[in-house]
Amino acid sequence: MSKRQKRFEVLAQRPVNKDGFIKEWMEVGLVAMDSPNDPAPGIKIQNGKVVELDGKPREKFDMIDLWIADHSIDTSIAEKAMAIDSTEFARMLVDINVPRAEIVRLSVGLTPAKILDVFKKMNVVELMMAMQKLRPRRTPANQAHVTNLKDHPALLAADAAEAAFRGFKEEETTVGVGRYAPMNALSLLVGSQTGCPGVINQCAVEEALELSMGMRGLTAYAETVSVYGTEQVFVDGDDTPWSKAFLASAYASRGLKMRYTSGTGSEVQMGYADGKSMLYLEIRCVMLAKGVGVQGVQNGSISCIGVPGAVPSGIRAVLAENVATVLLDLEVASGNDQTFTHSPIRNTARMLMQLLPGTDLIVSGYSSVPNYDNMFAGSTHDCDDYDDWLVLQRDLQVDGGLHPVKEADVIAIRNKGARALQAVFKEVGLPPITDEEIEAVTYAHGSKDVPDRNVTEDLRAIEDFMKRGGNGVDAVRALVKHGFRDVAEAVLGILKQKISGDYLHTSAILEPNFDVLSAVNDLNDYQGPGTGYRLEGKRWELLKDIPQAISPEDV
Amino acid sequence: MNITEDMVREIILEVLQEMEAEEQPATSFKEGGTPLSIRETGVAKSGVDKNEVVIGVPPAFGTAMYKTIIGIPHQQVLREMIAGIEEEGLKARLVRIYRTADVAFIAHESAKLSGSGIGIGMLSRGTTVIHQKDLKPLQNLELFSQSPLVDLEMFRAIGRNAARYAKGGNPAPLRVRNDPMARPRYQGLAALLHNKEVQYVDPDKPAQQVTVQL
Repeated sequence: MSKRQKRFEVLAQRPVNKDGFIKEWMEVGLVAMDSPNDPAPGIKIQNGKVVELDGKPREKFDMIDLWIADHSIDTSIAEKAMAIDSTEFARMLVDINVPRAEIVRLSVGLTPAKILDVFKKMNVVELMMAMQKLRPRRTPANQAHVTNLKDHPALLAADAAEAAFRGFKEEETTVGVGRYAPMNALSLLVGSQTGCPGVINQCAVEEALELSMGMRGLTAYAETVSVYGTEQVFVDGDDTPWSKAFLASAYASRGLKMRYTSGTGSEVQMGYADGKSMLYLEIRCVMLAKGVGVQGVQNGSISCIGVPGAVPSGIRAVLAENVATVLLDLEVASGNDQTFTHSPIRNTARMLMQLLPGTDLIVSGYSSVPNYDNMFAGSTHDCDDYDDWLVLQRDLQVDGGLHPVKEADVIAIRNKGARALQAVFKEVGLPPITDEEIEAVTYAHGSKDVPDRNVTEDLRAIEDFMKRGGNGVDAVRALVKHGFRDVAEAVLGILKQKISGDYLHTSAILEPNFDVLSAVNDLNDYQGPGTGYRLEGKRWELLKDIPQAISPEDV
Repeated sequence: MNITEDMVREIILEVLQEMEAEEQPATSFKEGGTPLSIRETGVAKSGVDKNEVVIGVPPAFGTAMYKTIIGIPHQQVLREMIAGIEEEGLKARLVRIYRTADVAFIAHESAKLSGSGIGIGMLSRGTTVIHQKDLKPLQNLELFSQSPLVDLEMFRAIGRNAARYAKGGNPAPLRVRNDPMARPRYQGLAALLHNKEVQYVDPDKPAQQVTVQL
């Protein structure tokens, strides 16, 4: 090759150039939000029934079209809403003088192509403004991943305790080895309630097992109940809108909070995008969720983020799909939960789209463990980024859901979480958690600092626990018996949510005293400066007080 | 020839770049292998022999696509996996699943066809599942979801563990591997590869028994 320009040689080594970038390929749907194959908006209603949706006649509806037409669109408002010019509607989203209530009154009359058309008029600043206005719950919050390579229960409990202590309102676990699922759920349940009462936990695995764990009170909610934007991908996932709706109602009938998960890029990732843009298909998913009656959606591409991330305007589309969710008056758990870049710069830019306006759950989830332990194959931020996160909150006076902590307090809470779980394991007959393990997990950075357990013994024991009908109440009993009364009461408080039903409301989170904060009693009322959620007062004092700040008095 | 400081610097840089390019999987294959000679011998039948593990692959495996996402030839993949099974004293039976390219369903159908109830499902890019017939389709015994991390050593160990399950044992699951940067690096490519994989799916064609020359 001819003589190289040295700056280009340096650039070639930059982290961002390790990322994957693809040119748009319209035929298979490798395009973020601007495809010639996306339909034009339109609706035809006869006798209160949708007979044509975005140019497609009813006889040609696939099952997603059918669901949206019959369950999602409010035909009493549709013609009026569809008649509003898309640019004008986009302006309403941004306009501080148009209240949220007015927008969600109209949005249920819109079709997928219409919603897409509105978003195509908006840049990311305008989309962030729309998010600030439209998210259902006034107070923003955050969700953590709590997992590890070894599915080590004591480490899960210690990490769950620290994550809750730091301010996360939800915790999500999954598995390295599938059969560990109920043990991981139990570890999070005990650890989270040690760290802060009211933090709810989920265990993302196969649907029937996940529902079973919820019914037993090993978990408090579900999130990864997935829906897809094309019929073929839906069926490939072994479901239809009807079976997914049935599953959602099964959770509801047992008083368990849940949301759906979808995200741009899943259809093209699985090979069947019907040539449509990623955002068009994702909007169908959100509308489907609305029609089912689910209270919220986790989206922002989620596990397929590498796909929109590879094409132009992908990260803008990812913000738009979050806005589509809140536009339809649903809770949004807004992604930022999966590695998509080698570049820290690109990483931060992506998450500012949700951090700055605030969402119901800004990150879904933040890896509270080192990324090598993250069994979702890595999140955008991990435990090594905590101080950066706290500083960004302080720099920008923005509430990202976390607060500064002291090392001694974290040591204490990690230790307590592990000891609480040790007590539970002893009572319910699971292989013991040793004092050596407790010491290790208290001070661990990650699973590399923790000894291995006997995996086959663990798996046999947890299978037996499930066969015997093991459940959350067993944990309560064990904790009381071994002197962890406060943790026991917190676990019982979580179990009681299934009976009270209050946390089923849109965007519900629990305060440490088990008061519910939701879109019902904490409705977002943002309408410009001086309104809505502001990081101020006691909360601001708490967040700005990072331990590394020098006090003028000391100098 | 006068060797200048600049030249030395350039050479060092080039060497460093080359080293960095090889930094990921230890097994980096320069040549891509060749398509396998695979013969379909009829509709795959449910086995009665308890001493077998069924390996299920999608239609493109070995033919239209013949190496994994990190370039391991399918010939070697199958050799290692079958060796692992045979090491444990069991037989491997290879089937082609036509109706889906979803690795979980491929694995589950293989398990249902298998006389031992244990099956392995594998996509062309390397994503692999060890399944058991009584589990739900989207459950599994072991899951190897990050295809760039599945190397030859693992394919053999997967064969071995599957055979151990088939013998009624309770082996320790393979040590879990995880690379948080696999997604940024490989997800776009995985999407392209899967789009190719699904083109060969035939939802109406039953699973086929196959023989292959390795």
